[in-house]
Amino acid sequence: MNNNMKSWASRMALMGAFVWCSATAQAQTGTPIKIGFVTELSGPWAFIGTNCVAGLNMATDEINKAGGVLNRPLQFIIKDNQTNPSSALAAARTLDVNDKVAALSGPTNSDTSLSMYGYAEQQKIPFLVPVAAFPQLTKPGTHYTFRIEPDAAGWGYAIAKFIEQQKPGAKVAVMYSDTALAHAIVAGFQYQAPKSKLSIVSSILFPQGSSDATVQAAQVKATKPDYVIVIGAGAFDNVLTNQLLDLGIKPPQVIHPFGMTTQVFGWGTRSIGSIYGTFFDHGMDSLTPEGKSFISRFDSANGRPPSYIENFCYNTAYVFKEALQAAGTDDREKLRNALSKLNTKEITSGVPIKFDKNGARKEYMYFMEIVSVNGKRTYQSKQRLYIEWNPEVLPVYDIIK
Amino acid sequence: MSDSSLLIVLSTLSTGLIMGAIFSLVAAGVTIVYGCVWLPNASNGQFFLLAALVVWTFTLSFGWSSLAASLAVIVLGVLLAVVLELVLIRRLYNAPNRNVAYFVVTLGLTQILSGIFSLTYAKWSDQFSVPPVIEGITMLGPFPISNNRLLAMVVSLGVLGLLFALLRYHPYGRALRAVFQNREAAALRGVNVRAIYRLSFVLGSTIIFLGGILFAFAYSFDLSVAWTMSITAFAIMIVGGPGSVLGALVVGMTFGFTQAIVSIFASPTVAMFSYLGAMLIMLLFQPNGLFKR
Repeated sequence: MNNNMKSWASRMALMGAFVWCSATAQAQTGTPIKIGFVTELSGPWAFIGTNCVAGLNMATDEINKAGGVLNRPLQFIIKDNQTNPSSALAAARTLDVNDKVAALSGPTNSDTSLSMYGYAEQQKIPFLVPVAAFPQLTKPGTHYTFRIEPDAAGWGYAIAKFIEQQKPGAKVAVMYSDTALAHAIVAGFQYQAPKSKLSIVSSILFPQGSSDATVQAAQVKATKPDYVIVIGAGAFDNVLTNQLLDLGIKPPQVIHPFGMTTQVFGWGTRSIGSIYGTFFDHGMDSLTPEGKSFISRFDSANGRPPSYIENFCYNTAYVFKEALQAAGTDDREKLRNALSKLNTKEITSGVPIKFDKNGARKEYMYFMEIVSVNGKRTYQSKQRLYIEWNPEVLPVYDIIK
Repeated sequence: MSDSSLLIVLSTLSTGLIMGAIFSLVAAGVTIVYGCVWLPNASNGQFFLLAALVVWTFTLSFGWSSLAASLAVIVLGVLLAVVLELVLIRRLYNAPNRNVAYFVVTLGLTQILSGIFSLTYAKWSDQFSVPPVIEGITMLGPFPISNNRLLAMVVSLGVLGLLFALLRYHPYGRALRAVFQNREAAALRGVNVRAIYRLSFVLGSTIIFLGGILFAFAYSFDLSVAWTMSITAFAIMIVGGPGSVLGALVVGMTFGFTQAIVSIFASPTVAMFSYLGAMLIMLLFQPNGLFKR
């Protein structure tokens, strides 16, 4: 009798498990909605691409656990573009032709984004760029491309406005690596600086692959700047920063246009008091409950707080979810129209997401001050300024070609 | 002279010395191998980078001290060089046109290593800086120089000095020089030429590894430093004279100072490649190298 009861109980348990699985599966029926995600998983930009995927995967898991989109699972097909424009284009083509994705997304590098931009516009595929700030991605006439990250020339504009508020008439030096991003930031700053009554006392461009800035740091020090804007590529940013600090430039004089978590760790305790620009940070004032939850879960999973890269990619998944729901379908043209009409907010910070006719977003930036750095585990920061601006305050497409 | 001008002069001197010392060291490693084995090692830049990456890995991932990590990398570097010589390099000692064969083989090695680095380390490329062996700075007048960079310079010059002493006074060193000059005559005098080939490859490669470690302490680096250092080291070897450690020192220092001085007057981009101009001028006067054997 006992054996029969055990057997019956185990059969009921099995059946119960089957029913539960089916019930869960019934929340998502049908084929997945496929989005092609071509990003930098190897090559020089891999440190950004891999962080981006971490944020994206968190959001995708959440969305699918909550029932997916239009009762279908949301699937990002992730491809590595090797930080190479040709590889990015090839991957985009494969995703379009073989996988017939509803949309493209993924690149975090301006060069790879631009190569996919051309393809997306030509093939009429909605293209949502999570992290790439080159302004030409949303030049006039753009129809299928939408950019989540504010354009880099605007970052330069915002820095000028920040410095204007901190010290009117300030003298500013600029030290930057030869990357498209840095050029765009500097162009925006150079445009706004005279309007903000700032004087640029030194502007030094370093070739890619530079390792040392000793002489240039001494030259900058000789100009007695009030602020130094530092835009080094990769670990060279730390070298630039440390060499300036060695020569007696104080941390509050150093401004980094953008700060990811790993960069803040690299700058370390010597940079306490320095300023960095960002679009999301665990120290900012306007975190939503979802934002705090995202930070906590990301930190638990990855051993460090997320920065704006992970946040943009996390929000990219939710932007697609909303647009697909608004479109009611994964038809490309309808999805594109839904994206262009989208009027929503970043789920983590409440910052508006609304694209203009060229796919650009109303621009914004936070300026944070480093308060403390705890090794490679975490850091504390405080918000010094939040600024928004309309992209049209800058003739972006004239100053950046 | 004002403080600002003095600062610029001292920074130029220090840059020239430190950069020149590291250039010279790496070029010495390259020239020893080429002078002895006729091996134009196209992968010397990747060895340089490998050393820097492994030191970084040991210090950041395993929490080792920078000194312990450096010693471990040297030991591993010696082992790697021995294995490479046993498995790959010695097979071509008697090959016709072996310098071309070596170049092609090491070019293949370069591509393999470059691909491995791109697939594995690229995602941390914004974090490639190694904790210092010695913290703090030393003031030279108004100019602060990090103790770590001073150490890199002292070690580079010290190792070059030891290399001179080895080549001049030690029996192995004299045997190396004999093979540099005339391997057939050296063989007739009882020198085990193949053993000297092995010694030169291991010694030269180890010096290149050391150069990579010292560079990682003195500066930040990224994956492109392999190509830059490879080209620079070859240029120094050609201008200095294949097989000449003195040539590597003189030309390496010249290149380091050229970069530093040009950077006062021109952009860093021009400065970075100014040594090529110096190279052309030197070759105009001495097309066979300054200290050709």
